[in-house]
Amino acid sequence: MRYVNDVSLPGMTYVAVARSSVPHARIRSIDTSVAASQPGVIGVFTAKDLQVSTYGRSVRDVSVLADDKVRYVGERVAAVVAESRVAAEAAAELVEVTYDELPAVFTAEEAIAPGAPTVHDAPWAYPRAFITEEQGQNRQSVVEEGSLEAVEEALQKSAFVVDETYTTSAIHQGYLEPQACVADVEPSGKVRLWLTNKSPYILRSQIADCLGIEADSIEVQPIALGGDFGGKGSPEEAPLCVALARLVGRPTKMVLRYTEDLLSTDARHPARIYVRIGCDTDGNITAWSQDALLDGGAYGGFKPAPTVSIHGALEPGGYRIPAFYSRSVIAYTNTVPKGHMRAPGAPQATFATESAMDELALKVGLEPADLRYRNLLRTGEADVNGREWIEFRGQETLDAALAALRIREDAPAGWASGVGISVYSRTTPTSTSSSMRLVPMPDGRLSCEIGVIETGTGSHTVARELLAKGLAMLPEDIDVVQVSTDELPTDPGAGGSRVTASLAMVADQAIKAWRARLEDEPVLVVVDEKGGPPVGSYGVQIAQVAVDPETGQVKVLEILSTVDVAEIINEKSHQMQIDGGAAMGFGYACLEDLDESDGQVWSANLGDFKLPSSRDVPDFKTVLVRGGRGVGTANVKNIGETTTPPTAAAIANAVADAVGARIRDLPIRAERVLALIEAAP
Amino acid sequence: MRLHFALNGEEIACDAEPDALLIDVIRDLGLTGTKEGCAVGVCGACTVLVREVPVCSCLYLAAMAEGAPVWTVEGIAKRDPALVECFVEREGMQCGICTPGQVVSAFALGLEHDSATEEEIRGFMSGNLCRCTGYVTITEAVRSYLDHR
Ligand code: FES
Ligand code: FES
Repeated sequence: MRYVNDVSLPGMTYVAVARSSVPHARIRSIDTSVAASQPGVIGVFTAKDLQVSTYGRSVRDVSVLADDKVRYVGERVAAVVAESRVAAEAAAELVEVTYDELPAVFTAEEAIAPGAPTVHDAPWAYPRAFITEEQGQNRQSVVEEGSLEAVEEALQKSAFVVDETYTTSAIHQGYLEPQACVADVEPSGKVRLWLTNKSPYILRSQIADCLGIEADSIEVQPIALGGDFGGKGSPEEAPLCVALARLVGRPTKMVLRYTEDLLSTDARHPARIYVRIGCDTDGNITAWSQDALLDGGAYGGFKPAPTVSIHGALEPGGYRIPAFYSRSVIAYTNTVPKGHMRAPGAPQATFATESAMDELALKVGLEPADLRYRNLLRTGEADVNGREWIEFRGQETLDAALAALRIREDAPAGWASGVGISVYSRTTPTSTSSSMRLVPMPDGRLSCEIGVIETGTGSHTVARELLAKGLAMLPEDIDVVQVSTDELPTDPGAGGSRVTASLAMVADQAIKAWRARLEDEPVLVVVDEKGGPPVGSYGVQIAQVAVDPETGQVKVLEILSTVDVAEIINEKSHQMQIDGGAAMGFGYACLEDLDESDGQVWSANLGDFKLPSSRDVPDFKTVLVRGGRGVGTANVKNIGETTTPPTAAAIANAVADAVGARIRDLPIRAERVLALIEAAP
Repeated sequence: MRLHFALNGEEIACDAEPDALLIDVIRDLGLTGTKEGCAVGVCGACTVLVREVPVCSCLYLAAMAEGAPVWTVEGIAKRDPALVECFVEREGMQCGICTPGQVVSAFALGLEHDSATEEEIRGFMSGNLCRCTGYVTITEAVRSYLDHR
């Protein structure tokens, strides 16, 4: 497979950037003379050399190169173009920047405190800003739903109430292919682009707006992606590489070192979530409030939407909640810009609310599973917003999970064992706008052209199998190719658990059109589907842990994922989404933390920012609860984002079960567990 | 400086800076199967064999390979086609970026200890990170390769 870093063009030049060493400052001066005189250097450029505006996926607040101000350690300040990557990197070290440092804000709490230093002077003035001046300084977004008043009233009357705050850490998506870009500008002005990006069609206008050119003049080339997990959706280095290619008149290539990726791309938001859940004497939920403050970092433009959904309970219609309130505030801070990562918002919210459910169960005196069972919605009920759903299968999924549970007996001697449960459900999108072209090949094979990039989730396999089934052909006789953005009208890009459902809708139309075609010529279909009632896919996880009471060390023995499914197009790819998702949930729970105290990323390489290895991961078990009703004629439910969000709470609940230590802050590290064990009465 | 080594069984000579890393020399020769991930010796995406021992080519000075046999994933795939087949058959990959390193390490494990238990496989392969699969299918692929040998 060919990835962006494998692309090489004649006359290629290499880009490296000088990055800010301070979290918040005015740039007094930039001296590029020493860097520019180094062997192999073609040019050194700063913001004043570029004719660009700010960019972003939603709000356009990101600078291509810092203009008057830097807002986080790692921000791009100057760019070197050289004959080799090594020469460019060496010269970038020699760019001299003088800063007038400004007071900074390193956490969301600091950022929203009255009188806090402002990260952006007028964030509401950026194109597509989500906030207004009235909402206050240092905010990226504020989303409120439900009624706080109703919740307060219901909590007053509740027999039991949990009232706790939970925090989660910033983590990186951890794809193993660093972000990279190759840009080539032809004399006609046409731009050819190879980018680690999963939404090529939408990307064009994001870049075009920034550079002041027409979106049609950009052709995004098909290329494999070395992992995404939500991190590869923004223009990233593309505006810079295109602008530089225009300046030097040669193609440019920029490949981030992994450290730069950790410092400057789009990590998951750390959150502080204040949860209150009340219930009556039987354990029926009476009120639910989740109030989240998230650290959005220095820029909001790396996110496809300026918000994250923190509706762990609400989004899929999970529990029956008479009085509901939810608020999510994303703050600007002087830290790494945050973005979306696998089920954005849900891992944070689910850790908080599913931990709180266990704390509530303890108060009521119910088994954690029983408390959940009695509150899970049943098919036919409306969700907290009064919406109808295709079905709710939370109870069936929970039953199946409990039936499959086998208690492990392999905890090391002297260690305590515990079992923890957590429930999550993710909505399968029912709308899409996408396109597909089927081209008959001379040898009888069929070529299927799509705009969906293969991010590593098996989307091309899924397309092949859908068509093979619909056209009664052998999968081997169908070639699925991703074509450049010039060749198809539209595609929504990967993400949001939408790929399979969206492919199924467009493949369905393509199959019909293919059968109805009169001549042996290519058929092109474009679908723009608005979607019907939503459906959720429940994921119930049960974690089993062993905890060393002497050291606080936690060993996760097993994660059992029980998943509510409809039709499965490709069993193996489906299973890998389950396992990979649970592995990622485990890393979030126990290992990963960018550690941004004082505005520096302290885990700035993959040695310190620890991704789970084959030795670290627990045993993964899976139960599929078949027979669900999915979306479209292919009858599918999403899977990519179902098993990551519940893991952290399942493990935290298991630790509490084992040693009585209630972890409310991620990651779950031995020191934290030990401190709680020692503090216990 | 002038470097000589046997790359995938073929004697080659090339020019490189004294501090050039093996990964860059190999990739500049057009063998782009070897991938750069972490660049600090942690992820294993850059794994190659030097003198039949797996090394992280992102940390390994090319000069240290002077005169040595060096095998990259491209060569290993030819040396033992069954290995790649095992990865394909067991779907021991998703995005594929870690796969070349996994394949080279699996081959090295086969050289060293082809009756490894599952735990030994996981231990030996723990220097090859994968963010996509959760390791289940990779471990299966390695298992089936060792069984085939
Ligand atoms: S790139 Fe060499 S070990 Fe990660
Ligand atoms: S397959 Fe993507 S990192 Fe392993």
